[in-house]
Amino acid sequence: MPKITINDQIYEAEKGKTVIQVADELGIQIPRYCYHPDIGIEGSCRMCLVEVKGAPKLMPSCATPIADNMEVRTNTERVQQAVRYAMEFLLLHHPIDCPVCDQSGECWLQDYYMSVAGHESRYPLGGKTRRRKAFDLGPLVKLDQERCILCTRCVRFTRNVTHTNEIQVFNRGHNSEIGIFKDRPLDNAYSGNVVDVCPVGALTNSDFRFKVRVWFLKGTDSVCGGCSTGCNMRVDHSARATGGGVPGYTASDGQVYRTVGRRNVDVNKSWLCDEGRLSFHTMERWPRLQVAAGRIEPTATQDLLMTIHETFRSLDGAIAGLGSATNTNEALFLMKKYFTGRVDFRLSKEVETYQERQDDLLRRLDKHPNTRGAIDLGLAGDLGGLKGLREKAEKKEIRGMWISFHPQLVGEDPPEVIENLRALVNALEFSVVSTTHEFEWARRASVLLPMAGWSEETGTYTNYAGRVQMTRQAVAASGSAEPLHALMATLLRLSGLSGMDGPAKPSAIFDAMAAEVPAYSGLDYETIGLLGAAPQEAAR
Amino acid sequence: MTPVKGGYAVDVPVVNVSEMARRDHATVWTTLKGFSVTLRHLFQSLFNGDTPTIHYPEQTRQHSERFRGTHILTVRDDGSLKCVACYMCATICPAECIYIEAAQHPNPEIEKFPKRFDIDMMRCIYCGFCVDACPEEAIIMSREHHQAAYGRAETIYNIEKLMARPGIDAKGPGYRPNRELAEAKIYDKEKQTACPYPSVVEERHPAVLYESMIRKRQ
Repeated sequence: MPKITINDQIYEAEKGKTVIQVADELGIQIPRYCYHPDIGIEGSCRMCLVEVKGAPKLMPSCATPIADNMEVRTNTERVQQAVRYAMEFLLLHHPIDCPVCDQSGECWLQDYYMSVAGHESRYPLGGKTRRRKAFDLGPLVKLDQERCILCTRCVRFTRNVTHTNEIQVFNRGHNSEIGIFKDRPLDNAYSGNVVDVCPVGALTNSDFRFKVRVWFLKGTDSVCGGCSTGCNMRVDHSARATGGGVPGYTASDGQVYRTVGRRNVDVNKSWLCDEGRLSFHTMERWPRLQVAAGRIEPTATQDLLMTIHETFRSLDGAIAGLGSATNTNEALFLMKKYFTGRVDFRLSKEVETYQERQDDLLRRLDKHPNTRGAIDLGLAGDLGGLKGLREKAEKKEIRGMWISFHPQLVGEDPPEVIENLRALVNALEFSVVSTTHEFEWARRASVLLPMAGWSEETGTYTNYAGRVQMTRQAVAASGSAEPLHALMATLLRLSGLSGMDGPAKPSAIFDAMAAEVPAYSGLDYETIGLLGAAPQEAAR
Repeated sequence: MTPVKGGYAVDVPVVNVSEMARRDHATVWTTLKGFSVTLRHLFQSLFNGDTPTIHYPEQTRQHSERFRGTHILTVRDDGSLKCVACYMCATICPAECIYIEAAQHPNPEIEKFPKRFDIDMMRCIYCGFCVDACPEEAIIMSREHHQAAYGRAETIYNIEKLMARPGIDAKGPGYRPNRELAEAKIYDKEKQTACPYPSVVEERHPAVLYESMIRKRQ
């Protein structure tokens, strides 16, 4: 391994890496705009210049591969001066409209101006070049050419990642500008990522634009619930209430405003598909189920669960559970325990499709995040899925059921699934439906329980490859909704089947699961961490 | 004088009261002199109307031009709202009483305008930070401080109420620290190179409707 000296400190680094990659791993800060680890090297912004011993000029660290006995300095007066000049040029024609710019607060121009530049402009304010502002590149992305610094991250994203080449640099020299061809809007399935990679306010998300200023947001690291790929994302939600007693303002309840791709080299690099990025809107599509309802007179959830348990016990084992592949592993594990294995989760073709790609980047055909987890728990048994359960219910082999239903976050649930669910509820003697929204088919259920949905509960999903990842609670569940694992834990406690007492902590449930299920042996929430735990091939 | 412990010598004048009274002949004569002042003020207020009290509901006191009263949202020359919904006021507000909803302005030069701008006057502490923070001098304060209302809902002022209220014109604005900055027009849009892509502004856009609202009021 080559030895490299950075700021008088000797490090060993892997061969073939560039200086900026080594510095990033070591936590040495080098400013950059055009360099992004996942989209290829350009070397156009001149922000990452470093001094290399023996080289007459400063070298761009993003494009300089390391060599043995290389001596790099990132903090000399010469480097700082060069970066200041680079910043002065980048800000020369920048409109400095931070108050109305949607990027301000997370803008790299702001950050680097404060940390490395701090110069005073030598250019008259009135003489700035005007360019086209706020026009649509596609359905999700708006471009402001005045704010653009021509780092070409978006160009390289469409060139190297999606291979669609919609965004290009047009004209030359001072007249260069980012744009699209007239007849080819930016409407590929991954267009939202160009907003994430844009370090300045040039590309903004039409869906998120102007909704909220970013400094009011709090980020929670979570996992997308849109398909079985399980892309890592950060859920940005309201954290601070403004507006006092202004009616109609519900920020205290928490609201998800956007989701941003979170880097995980093993799963999704830095990307999200547009469907997944906007999937949090699904939670707003129907009215939320706020309180328990149904044919049995609704009381407090605890009393209701007591009634449910008594009724299930009186049905003499003719009971079963139907989980959802959008429920967490923890919830499904407890459900399996309560129904002593008589649990299924298949609504239609999850098991057949969960590993099949929809395209060659991220998306998969199965639109449930936890199909693999349910299979690992052994829920794809001989009950025959939703169809089999319906037949059994119509033959009165099964008389009572707990049906947990979470709508698909991406796309619509197939109509035959809804039809089967309706028939199942109608055929059952006693049906408990725990669901997130008010669905028309569930109205005839004996008990309708509000359930916390995606981004409202903490738990783990297992993605298509068997990687266990954590989804974290970002916002409060609506109304009196509780996560399914909490409902199931209460039911188990009432039945005396489990030795668990006290509130059901997802981490404790996972520990119990790791002890029983071979696929999760040796894992706990700490080892899963932010990036998930890699699949354990030996355990399979 | 001995120095005060740990400090500087302080020259405190010593007044001997009884000595002063003897020197000033504090007797009947001085007492009468005192009464004459009282009487002078009595007659002056009786016949000259020279009185410091005011007839409150009919008359109101003129406040200082730095008075921090109810807020005003200012308008451009064309009557549209100056506010660009940048949330600086809502961010700085220590009472968290400002609620803004932004929307796309039809003119990309302006970018944003507030679809909704509410101030909860019951929560406001009248610190004036919002005025200090505003980059456009879109929010200033007035000398008005009457906010009696029949219910809490009325104390939440919306755009319409904040834009123009009767009585403001007569008294003039209050706290307005950035007036010179705003009037100097350091960022004069007319002096700039024109944007090569002029945009078409819809007639019935909500941002334009504020203008007609003002006209109607006048």
